[in-house]
Amino acid sequence: MLKLLKIEWLKVKNYRTFWILLVITIASIPGFNYGLYNLMDNSFPKFHGKSILGSPFAFPDVWQTVSWNATMLFLVPAILIITLTTNEFTYKTHRQNIIDGWSRQQFIGVKLFEVLLLSILCTLIVALTTLGFGYIGNKVPEGVSPWAESRFLFFYFVQMVSYSMIAFLLSMLIKRAGLAMGIFFIYMIFENVIVGILHNKYNIKAVEYLPEEVTDRLIPLPYGKALLNQGGLAAWESHIPYYLGGAAIYLLLYCLLTSRRFLKSDL
Amino acid sequence: MNPILSIQSINKFYGSIRALHQVSFEVPSGSVFGVLGPNGSGKTTLLGIVMNVLQASGGSYSWFGEQPSEKQRRKIGTLLETPNFYHYLSGERNLQIAAAIKGHGQEDIPRVLEMVKLSERKDSKFSTYSLGMKQRLAIASCLLGKPSVLVFDEPTNGLDPVGIAETRELIRELAKGGTTIVLASHLLDEVEKVCTHVAILQKGVLITAGDVNEVLMSEDLAELGAADTEKLRTILTAMPGVRQVKQSEQYLQVYLQNGTMNLSGINQYCFDNGIVLNHLQLRKRSLESKFMELTNK
Repeated sequence: MLKLLKIEWLKVKNYRTFWILLVITIASIPGFNYGLYNLMDNSFPKFHGKSILGSPFAFPDVWQTVSWNATMLFLVPAILIITLTTNEFTYKTHRQNIIDGWSRQQFIGVKLFEVLLLSILCTLIVALTTLGFGYIGNKVPEGVSPWAESRFLFFYFVQMVSYSMIAFLLSMLIKRAGLAMGIFFIYMIFENVIVGILHNKYNIKAVEYLPEEVTDRLIPLPYGKALLNQGGLAAWESHIPYYLGGAAIYLLLYCLLTSRRFLKSDL
Repeated sequence: MNPILSIQSINKFYGSIRALHQVSFEVPSGSVFGVLGPNGSGKTTLLGIVMNVLQASGGSYSWFGEQPSEKQRRKIGTLLETPNFYHYLSGERNLQIAAAIKGHGQEDIPRVLEMVKLSERKDSKFSTYSLGMKQRLAIASCLLGKPSVLVFDEPTNGLDPVGIAETRELIRELAKGGTTIVLASHLLDEVEKVCTHVAILQKGVLITAGDVNEVLMSEDLAELGAADTEKLRTILTAMPGVRQVKQSEQYLQVYLQNGTMNLSGINQYCFDNGIVLNHLQLRKRSLESKFMELTNK
């Protein structure tokens, strides 16, 4: 795999678009969080010196807050994945890589590994941003372990891999950058609208298990936690294994669909 | 000696369209093997199948007498259809990727760039190359690591006359050095000039395959004229060694068995049979007409 990754590195190391999108992906996570941090600090009324929204950027809630905020930015790494993958089809280099001596398994394997690497990188940035806000932006509250609720980092990772795989699947099926990006973006909105209508208005619970919603539910809205009822939190807690199970099934499906498509079809 | 490439009963369907039907032939080691056929005859499809970018609907093939695998493809330099490179990278960086996939070091890159006269433009982005330069870069990529087998699909596409001549010369040089070359082309003279063997495809069906001198044999024919054309036709039809007598605009065309053409002998034969010729000329049968005859069977 290392050999394959070295070749993938040769493809992107002098590609300006790759670096621009990667820098935006990396910088947007702390940048967007910092923007929201300032907004919280300055725009909401305070009660005894504390925001009515609680302390979302202090331990332990900062894990949930930074992760949830970062999930708003999935479109950026998705564009990066779609660009790199559809480039191969646009330039027909996917054919040339096979002709020159890669197996189809190697091609699809290294692309899947790249999706995983990008997800790990983004998770690492989320972790560093969380620690930055937790330690530098706020004092660690007494009696609170900084690592309590760090499970949200894992939930972010699951969500990031899931969204990235959807972007990858669309790239492999559609093969055109603009169309794949458009469908990815429209589906993000479409699913939210469907969930909003069917779940909230008609109380149809099954929509919780739609491809994106099932991972969205792993990280609930972090703001105004004090206003939420405890029953809702307990229900969420009990559903986590189901959400993780649903995410795992979808990931398996994405891997099978992309691999099968590339292994069996004409290139 | 084992064939380099052996193709057995390959079929390919695109939906209900039959692109290849039961195609079988073998490419001998050290040969320059032309796959000849008009546009749409299935040449590129066939080469796409043996390079694993297209899936055959039936049949099988083997390289070097073994089951196909990516390891074998690394030993083959292939230019299939169009030059496929990363447009945003320079020619040299594109070759670095090809060399890495083939498992070679980068030390061979300057040599192949020099061979195709692209050394001066090696740092230019591929997107800035002309069509001919793109084609030459693709040929350079094929030559990386001095492979023992080359597969060229229309290698002179987009090249100017000098480039075409240089590429043909390069193919001849490589063949002299023992490289086996599979060359797909719709250009008859290209195949005739550089190939030792040929397979002719038409509408996905193999018409014939074999030694180029046998398949595309340029038959000799004599053109004859006399005052009494009908009598001339009668005696020529009865002449030993004559394969066919045809009427052209003014004269009769006589096709003889290969290697039996003797104008003075024909003249003497006619005179002995009471015909005085007023026209006798040796003509070469065009390769095109031979190809048309083969593909119109």
